[in-house]
Amino acid sequence: MQTNFSAEQLQDPGTARANEILRACVHCGFCTATCPTYQVLGDELDSPRGRIYLMKDMLENERVPDEKTVTHIDRCLSCLACMTTCPSGVHYMHLVDHARDYIERHYDRPWSDRALRWILSKILPYPMRFRLALLGARIGRPFARLMPDARLRAMLEMAPKQIPPVSPNDDPQTFAPEAPRKKRVALMTGCAQRALNTDINDATIRLLTRLGCEVVVAEGAGCCGALTHHMGKTGESHATAAKNIRAWVAEMDGKGLDAIVINTSGCGTTVKDYGHMFRGEPLAEDAARVSAIARDVSEVLMELDLPEGAPKDLTVAYHAACSLQHGQQIKTHPKDLLKRAGFSIVEPADAHLCCGSAGTYNLMQPAISKQLKDRKVQTLEAATPDVIAAGNIGCMMQIGGGTDVPVVHTAELLDWATGGPKPPAMRAAQTGVPILR
Amino acid sequence: MSPISEYELAEALAGAHGPLRIRGGGTRTLDVDGGDTLSTGQMTGITLHEPGALTLVAKAGTPVSDIRAALRAENQRLAFEPMDHRPLLGTTGAPTIGGVVAGNVSGPRRIAVGAARDFMLGVRFVDGTGRILKNGGRVMKNVTGYDLVRLLTGSHGTLGVLSEVSLKVLPDVDAAATLLLSGLSDTQAVKALSAGLGSPFEITGAAHDPEAGETRLRIEGFANSVTYRAGRLRDLLAPFGRAEVQEGKAGTAETWAATRDVTDFADRAGDVWRLSVKPSDAPALVARSGAETVRYDWGGGLVWLLMPEGVDLRANLGPFKGHATLIRADEETRRALPAFQPENPVLARLTAELRAKFDPRGVLNPGVMA
Amino acid sequence: MEMPEPDADVVSRKGHLVERLQNALPPGAVIHDTTELRAYECDALTAYTCPPLCAVLPTSTEEVAAVLRICHDEGVPVVPRGAGTSLAGGALATADAVMLGTARLNAVIETNYDDRYIRVQSGRTNLSVTGAVEERGFFYAPDPSSQLACAIAGNIAMNSGGAHCLKYGVTTNNLLGVTMVLMDGTVTEIGGAHLDAGGLDLLGLICGSEGQLGVVTEATLRILHKPEGARPVLMGYDSSEVAGQVVNDIIKAGVLPVAIEFMDRPCIEATEAFAKAGYPMCEALLIVEVEGSDAEIDEQLGLIMQIAARHDPVELREAKDADEAGRIWLGRKSAFGAMGQINDYMCLDGTIPVSELPFVLRRIAELAQEYGLAVANVFHAGDGNMHPLILYNANTPGEQEKCEALGADILRLCVEVGGCLTGEHGVGIEKRDLMLVQYGPDDLDAQMAVKDVFDPAWLLNAAKVFPLAASKSHRIAAE
Repeated sequence: MQTNFSAEQLQDPGTARANEILRACVHCGFCTATCPTYQVLGDELDSPRGRIYLMKDMLENERVPDEKTVTHIDRCLSCLACMTTCPSGVHYMHLVDHARDYIERHYDRPWSDRALRWILSKILPYPMRFRLALLGARIGRPFARLMPDARLRAMLEMAPKQIPPVSPNDDPQTFAPEAPRKKRVALMTGCAQRALNTDINDATIRLLTRLGCEVVVAEGAGCCGALTHHMGKTGESHATAAKNIRAWVAEMDGKGLDAIVINTSGCGTTVKDYGHMFRGEPLAEDAARVSAIARDVSEVLMELDLPEGAPKDLTVAYHAACSLQHGQQIKTHPKDLLKRAGFSIVEPADAHLCCGSAGTYNLMQPAISKQLKDRKVQTLEAATPDVIAAGNIGCMMQIGGGTDVPVVHTAELLDWATGGPKPPAMRAAQTGVPILR
Repeated sequence: MSPISEYELAEALAGAHGPLRIRGGGTRTLDVDGGDTLSTGQMTGITLHEPGALTLVAKAGTPVSDIRAALRAENQRLAFEPMDHRPLLGTTGAPTIGGVVAGNVSGPRRIAVGAARDFMLGVRFVDGTGRILKNGGRVMKNVTGYDLVRLLTGSHGTLGVLSEVSLKVLPDVDAAATLLLSGLSDTQAVKALSAGLGSPFEITGAAHDPEAGETRLRIEGFANSVTYRAGRLRDLLAPFGRAEVQEGKAGTAETWAATRDVTDFADRAGDVWRLSVKPSDAPALVARSGAETVRYDWGGGLVWLLMPEGVDLRANLGPFKGHATLIRADEETRRALPAFQPENPVLARLTAELRAKFDPRGVLNPGVMA
Repeated sequence: MEMPEPDADVVSRKGHLVERLQNALPPGAVIHDTTELRAYECDALTAYTCPPLCAVLPTSTEEVAAVLRICHDEGVPVVPRGAGTSLAGGALATADAVMLGTARLNAVIETNYDDRYIRVQSGRTNLSVTGAVEERGFFYAPDPSSQLACAIAGNIAMNSGGAHCLKYGVTTNNLLGVTMVLMDGTVTEIGGAHLDAGGLDLLGLICGSEGQLGVVTEATLRILHKPEGARPVLMGYDSSEVAGQVVNDIIKAGVLPVAIEFMDRPCIEATEAFAKAGYPMCEALLIVEVEGSDAEIDEQLGLIMQIAARHDPVELREAKDADEAGRIWLGRKSAFGAMGQINDYMCLDGTIPVSELPFVLRRIAELAQEYGLAVANVFHAGDGNMHPLILYNANTPGEQEKCEALGADILRLCVEVGGCLTGEHGVGIEKRDLMLVQYGPDDLDAQMAVKDVFDPAWLLNAAKVFPLAASKSHRIAAE
């Protein structure tokens, strides 16, 4: 499209990048076809094309963001299905990230919004605080209906019934490989995941060490910064990301790393983008080094010779997390791995559509999130699977909250197939004990 | 009146004083009233034939036989196989391409490739005020402005007199075969034909004759393909019985020409009606039609009914989705019953107003369609 | 681009009008905030923009009828909008117009595999119509390149085609019936699950009428069983003349491919850089696809390859499996995206008799040189529907105007050789002023007389299709 930035505006690297992206867009509208919010709302303004248009107008004219524009941008899941669909290679992610940062700096949100976002940014990235909040939420859950704000209600309702105890595996340490060592990898243990579900990291560590990886949990690594990054709180997201970069570079320059393994695809997308996020900053080079070796766990497993497993009488519905299929463009690895391990795979219809979790989206946009969750659960259950597998904790929580079918991480199934224990979520389902929700 | 050029045609229409009966070959008359006749018989000639572009342009009065001959020479054909009304109506004369277009006259293959209107690329015509008009052109893809080509096709000369038509033609086929099933009830026959038409084997004809107890499907194409598809269809239709396959292009052509022209009704007394409906509705409608006998085509979507003289088929059917056209009846019946299915009030109004735009003085075949 | 002056009186009544519309529709169906209306100020032809007075998103035929009744009553123009993918500016509004979006009319109403039709609300996307029947092995044939996103409503308005229309026809050949709302709110059915019109072919008339005769809210569409298989071949030639001759010979041999696509060198180069499909660098590239069982495909391709080989190809490539087939198509399908990466472009849509291809390509190259702009050609060779892509830079002052002037010359050329201005995209606003190149004033009068019948008030999308000067008397008489 034609753009109207002045030479002066284009001096700013962020604006220059936005201009590049906007020039690539031809306004063809293909992206509307795969956008979850457009499917639900049927409004051009809640489609990538419409959002691009609003962002273009806002940035070109250096407008103070208005409530309507912010609403429509806030409604974006950042699922990036549009990027997969776009025939012109428009980098929507970079554009919306830039716009969110702009909004955060120039828009006066209503105090309830600001308070909520502040609370989330101060709690979710910190496992200890998050655990306390979850305990509090569990207590407050019966009173959810009294909450005036739909989003607070959603938060209380989403709190899991069971909160796992702190796992010692998440502390900085090194796990020795069982087989002769093939790779040395860092495992990102994450933030919210550590409070919600420790089975995932446990299974990942077992699986990787069994297949010959020395797994190190780096000292000083923590939240990847995705949550605050998607809120436009660039200062905070860069601060946490910087800690990770330093922690991993220390390992890379120390004993060396073949990969940084991430088992939450939402985080993986962000870590792979560190190079772009830190361009032009002092940490640029290190950030790029880290991005270059960041891998989703399924990518690493593809290189590790997963033993072929006997066919199991178990139907696994594979849920493709947006961040994995669109953000990281990894579409077949998890399925190939599960098939190799002997599982039967089924996929839901409209697999490209987000489940509605999208980071904190299910907390901030409960109405739309619920519609997407219902659709996703319906399509998954339609294949009558025994278990649902996903590569992202957010999806697991979201989908798990809407179905009785056990929901596990792909790594848990692969761990089980290669000698590990049966995933707790599946055991619970069998015994009738309430499962982790 | 028999203009030899479009210009003369325009003059004739501009100067028309009263109702005109527009005539091509005069083989498909539907009207009742008298009036002067305007014939297109002298506006003949193929003006363009580009086999590699599948295009043919001809003046409206060109005999269909001339066009067939020209196409045959290049191994091509009018794929929509227009019906020859002469046997059924007992008329004589040479059908013209203009008449085919004006009547949207098609045949059994309509079910696969489309009707005459689906092969029209462009028209030149003169409206009721004597204005020379054109729409479309000679290319297959043309969405420049409104589609008056479709509007004029099947308008039975009531909006304008065609002077030249452009058509898409298709290659002729190498081989053909007919699959025959016997002894099926009307309902079973329609089911069998639906099964065939819903398969990937490109049936180009789907008919049923309840009197002979014969259900027919046609396959056309390269010889190997025809044999292969016949076999696959026979398997597919096994639940309906063991199908007999009659291979041979000439034989197939003969069989389907008879289907196309409804020759079975040619020498039998009775009115002939033509019903267009959703195929699965057809057997039930036939059951209450009061018809002496029927012939199904288009997989059941087209039903020819031989009715006792003077009986109003529409009254017997009651409200239904589709339309019934009176094709053959004596003058008295044709005066009493509208030949074309009366439309809902909204469409009737739009139709009347469109006619008024193109033919304000009402000179073009008045009463033929309304 | 000239558009009629917005009616100041209507604009001044915006508040009142919005209120009436809000009362008639569910909450959230009326968009009237100025910032939000910007997203509705254009379709895929972004060069021309105008936010409408307001936009409405109805969910049913009744709601559409209510909207039109109100607008008719208030004398407010209406501009219908499908998915907004029109390249001809078909959904461009004026400041006094209500934009009527069909995006929320997307339900499947009925599927009938015995009688082979599907009935859908018109806002449903083209590809999702096939999506609704593909489990049973059926598909909806017209496949415009934008089929992922474009709406059936737009397909009907523009009589859309696609690569496979050589064999299966365009929208008008696959449309069985509609529910349509006239500008005064009257609802009527035309056609249905039966074939052929019972009287005048009004269905054929409204297909391709660019949203000027009524708003289609539901459509009955023909569905077909998918062929057993399909396979493409790729052919590279040293000249477009030769490629054109190959197409000619294939058709004359009696083979009916399901698609024949053509790309010229500039197009191949740009596409290779972007999609890396492995195309040969040559003057002209053809992709021919045939359908049937494996044996039938083999037989047809045997014939085609024989013909192709006779003309000294630079390369002949058959697909041995689905993967290779995908790669043969990959470049062609990425062509527009590839162009968009390098440049802004204007996509033309002129159609020519297939025999004129070599001459027209030569002339286009000459004209392009005269204007100092680059043109890449992609082409539905089987039916002569060209897509010259004029490359330019929208941010360079004056380039857009130059581009449009070259485009107009190319379209004039198409008409001169016996073709037409637009094969698929429709007239919209883009080719309005060229209508008299193809038609005489009487011809346009006849078409406008049709609109007089359906929309005497000339409120429905009145600024499209006809040159404003030609339609002026109709628009004024309507006031």
